Amino acid sequence: MSKKPTVQPALHKVIMVGSGGVGKSALTLQFMYDEFVEDYEPTKADSYRKKILLDGEEVQIDILDTAGQEDYAAIRDNYFRSGEGFLCIFSITEDESFQATQEFREQILRVKNDDNIPFLLVGNKCDLEEKRKVTFQEAQDRANKWGVPYVETSAKTREHVDKVFFDLMREIRARKKDENKTNNGRGKDKNKKKKLKCTIL
Amino acid sequence: MDGPKEPTFPLLSSPDFVPEKYVRDISQNYVGGLELQLLKKKIQTLSDETNNNLKRNVYQNYVQFIEAAKEISHLEGEMYQLSHLLSEQRSLLTSLMNSSILEDQTHIKVHKHEKMDEQDVEEENKLKLATILEKVEGCKDIVEVEGRTFIHEGDLLEIDATENMALKFVHVYLFSDSLMITNRNSNPRSLTRFTYESIYELSSLAVVNVRDMGNIKHAFKLLIFPDTRVFQCSSNASKKEWLDKIDQAKKSKLASEQPKRESLLVEKTSPARMTFIESSHEEEPVIKIIINHPEWFLDIPDELDVCIAQRQFEEAVNYLNKAQMYINKTTDHQQIDMALTEIREKVEQKRNSLIEMLMKELEVNPEKSLQGGLRATRTAVRLLNQLGRSTQACDLFLKLCSNILKLQCKRVKREGSTTIYVRHLSSVVFTNMCSMSDEFLRAFPDSTDCASAYVVWASGELSLFTTHFAKQVFMPQTSLSTITECVELVRIQCEKLYSYGIDFRYQLDGTLRASLNKALSDAKDKLIDSIKLRVSEDKWIPINLKTKSALARCLQEYAQMGLKLDIYVTGDVWLQLTPSNLAFTKAFLILLEDCLKLKTTELLYTIDDTLCKVFEAQIRCYEHALRNESQHEQRQFIVKNIEFLLMVLYEFAQKKYRENSGYECEQLNKTATEFLGLLKGRGTKTKYSSEFL
Ligand SMILES: Nc1nc2c(ncn2[C@@H]2O[C@H](COP(=O)(O)OP(=O)(O)O)[C@@H](O)[C@H]2O)c(=O)[nH]1
Ligand SMILES: [Mg+2]
Repeated sequence: MSKKPTVQPALHKVIMVGSGGVGKSALTLQFMYDEFVEDYEPTKADSYRKKILLDGEEVQIDILDTAGQEDYAAIRDNYFRSGEGFLCIFSITEDESFQATQEFREQILRVKNDDNIPFLLVGNKCDLEEKRKVTFQEAQDRANKWGVPYVETSAKTREHVDKVFFDLMREIRARKKDENKTNNGRGKDKNKKKKLKCTIL
Repeated sequence: MDGPKEPTFPLLSSPDFVPEKYVRDISQNYVGGLELQLLKKKIQTLSDETNNNLKRNVYQNYVQFIEAAKEISHLEGEMYQLSHLLSEQRSLLTSLMNSSILEDQTHIKVHKHEKMDEQDVEEENKLKLATILEKVEGCKDIVEVEGRTFIHEGDLLEIDATENMALKFVHVYLFSDSLMITNRNSNPRSLTRFTYESIYELSSLAVVNVRDMGNIKHAFKLLIFPDTRVFQCSSNASKKEWLDKIDQAKKSKLASEQPKRESLLVEKTSPARMTFIESSHEEEPVIKIIINHPEWFLDIPDELDVCIAQRQFEEAVNYLNKAQMYINKTTDHQQIDMALTEIREKVEQKRNSLIEMLMKELEVNPEKSLQGGLRATRTAVRLLNQLGRSTQACDLFLKLCSNILKLQCKRVKREGSTTIYVRHLSSVVFTNMCSMSDEFLRAFPDSTDCASAYVVWASGELSLFTTHFAKQVFMPQTSLSTITECVELVRIQCEKLYSYGIDFRYQLDGTLRASLNKALSDAKDKLIDSIKLRVSEDKWIPINLKTKSALARCLQEYAQMGLKLDIYVTGDVWLQLTPSNLAFTKAFLILLEDCLKLKTTELLYTIDDTLCKVFEAQIRCYEHALRNESQHEQRQFIVKNIEFLLMVLYEFAQKKYRENSGYECEQLNKTATEFLGLLKGRGTKTKYSSEFL
C-alpha cells in the first residue's frame, strides 16, 4: 500500500515564548517527562517531540522551547514563523516578565500576520502565591483584550500543565480544520482528498 | 569407674588429651602382654592411617597450590591483555583529541586573524577557501564575500522532519558568516567530491537543538522558513561541536557588527534584546612584531626537505629538535611573528611526513626483502620513539615480527620424522621469539604499553604455533612416545622465554590438553588390545632364550630400564616369565616413562587412569587364564607371573612414579591390592605382604 514505513500522526507545532527564567523549560520538561527541574539553565533553542492522545486521536506535539532573548531579530522571527501555536509565559512573581508579554504578542502577530493565531497567556509559578506581583485580574484583563484564554500554571506542582498544552493543541487543530475549509470549500472534500492521497502514496 | 578408652581419632586429637595420663591408665588397667600388644597394634594402625591422611592432605594442598599458581599466571596474562586494550583505547582517544585540537586551532586562527593585517587574513583564507573550491562544485561565489573565514566542516545525515526518515548525506561547511550545505557528487567521474546545494546567512539562521525526537538521536534543526531541516550528527559530541561553533560564530559576527548595529539596537527596546552586547569586548589594538630570526632557522624547512628526500632520517630528526627548541624559546618570550608561525607550521608538516616515511620503513611489504631482519628496523623505531610515536612503531614492529616468523617457519621443510621436524620448527620459532624479545626490549625499553602489546603478540604467535604443532603431531599413526618427545621438546623451548619474564607454559599445556587426553586414551586402548592378543597366544611355559648371550642381552635390556630380572633366571637360557608378561613389562615401562614425562596436574587423572587400566587389563587376562587352566604346573607358573606383576613390576612402577612426583600412584595401589587375593593359595608370604600394601 504505502511506500513509507509508517504514516506519522498529525504534527502540531507549539512554541514557548516569554522572558528568561519564567519557567518555559520547566513547563516543557514537566509536560514531556513529568519532572520538575529545580536549577536554572538558560536555554538556547531546544525542541521536543512526543506522541499523545488528543481527545482519542493520536497526534504529535512538537515543542520549541526558546531562549528569553535572541541577538538577531531575523533569527527570532524564524523561530516564531515555525510555530502553529504559542504559549506566552510570564511569572506571576515578576511584573517585568508580565510586561514583556506585550512585546512578544506584538512580534508574534507581526511575524505570523494573523490575529487569530492559537495563543494562550500563561501565568506560571502560581504555587508561589505569597510572592505574587501580578494579580489574576490584571492578567485576565490583558488576555481578554487580546481575545485569548488566560491560565495560571505551576511547573512545580504540575497544576494546569497538561491543560495549557492540550487547550492550545485543540485550538491548533481547530484552526487547521478551518483553514482546510476555507481552502477547499467543504471539509468533507478535504477528507476525501486526504484519503485519496494516502492510497496514491 | 571408667577404664581407659579405646584409642580413637577423636580421643587422641581432643585438646585435653594428656599422653602421660593415658599411658598411666593403660598400664594400670591392662594385665598381660597380649592385651597390650593388641592395643599397640591398634595404635599402630591409627598411626598409619594418620600418616596416609597426612600424605593425602599434603598432596591435595599441593594440587591446590599448583592450581592457584596456574590461575595467577592466567590472571597475569589477562591483565596484560586488559592493559593492552586500555592503551589502545588511550591512543585512540589521544588521536581523537589531536584531531579536535587541530580544529580548535583553525578556530583560534580566526581570532588571531583579527589581530593581523587584513592582507594576511585574506591570504590565509584564500588558501582554505581554495581547497573548498576544489572539493565543491558550483560554489565559486563563496570567495566573493569579503572577510569570510572557514571554521568547521563535517558530514551530516539529513532527516525528513515529518516522516522521521533518513533523506541523504550532506557535507556542511561553517564559515564566519554562513553555513553551506553541499551534497555528495553523484557523478563518480567528477573531480569534485561535493556539489553546492545552499548557503544560509548566520544572522537569520534559526538553529534548534533537538533534545527529543523519538529514535532520532544527536540531531539539530535549521528553521528556514517555510522549511525545517533536520540533521543528524554521528555523536552527541559532534552535535555539541556544531551547535557551539555556530553559536560562537554568530556571537563573533555580532561583535564585529556592533558599531553598525548599535544605534539600531538602542532604538529597539525589544524584550528579545541580548544582554551580552553591552559587555562585548573592545577590539584590541593590532600589535605587529618583527623579529630577526637567525638564518639557520629560516632554512630549516628546506634542510628538512633535503634530509627526507635523501633518507637521512637521523639528520632530519636533529633538525626538527633544533627547530622545536628555538620555537619553544622564542614563544616563551611571547615573541611570535608571521615568519615564526609560518616556519612552525612548515616544520610540523615536515615532521608528519617524516613520521609517515619512517612508518613506511617498518611496514610489511611483499616486495621488500626481510633480509636485514629486525636489526634493519632499529633506526626507524628509535626515531619514531623520539618523535613520540612509540605505539605505532610498536604495532608495526610486531607485525614485522609476525611476518618474519611466518617466513622462517615456511622455510622449515617437512622431512624426516615428526620429531625431527618438530625439533627444528620449535627451535626456529622459539629462538626467533627470543631474539625478537631481545630486539623488542632494546627498542622499547621502558614503555609498559608496548610491553603488554608484546605479551599479547607473543601469546598470539604461540597459539598459531601450537595449532600447527597439534596438526602435525596428533595423528592416529603417531606413537605416544613420539608425541611425548615432541611435547617435551616444545616445553623446553617454551621455557626459553622465561628469561624474558614471559611464561607461556600454562597456555601451551592448556591448548594441548584435549589432544593429550585423547592420545593417552588411544594409547591405552591400543595397549589393552595387544595385551589380549599376546595373552591368548601364551602357552604358559618359561621363555627359552636359546643362547647364553641372548639371555644376557635380554637381561641387560631390562636392567637398562631399571628392572633386574636375574632372580627369574633358571639354568643357562631359561627365564621364569611368560613371553606375554615380558613383552607387557617392556610396553608398560615405556608407557610409564611417557606418562611421567607428560605429567601436568591437569593430565594427572588421565595419566593415572591410563596406567591403571593397562595394568589391570594384564592381570585380568592372567586371572582369567588361571581360572581356565587345569594343569597344576601351569597354574603355578601363572601365579608366579602374577606375583611378578603385583610385586616386582608394581613396586618398580611405584618407585618411578614416586621419584617423579614425590608420592605414589594411589589408584595403582588400589588396583594392585584388589588382586592380591590371587596370590593367597601360594602360602609363601614375601616381604610384600598384604599388610604392607
Ligand atoms: N516554584 C516554582 N519555580 C519554578 C516554576 N517554574 C520554573 N521554576 C523555576 O524557575 C527557574 C527558571 O525556570 P526555567 O524553566 O529554566 O525558565 P525559562 O528560562 O523560562 O526556561 C528554575 O529554577 C525553575 O526551577 C514554578 O512553576 N514554580
Ligand atoms: Mg529555558
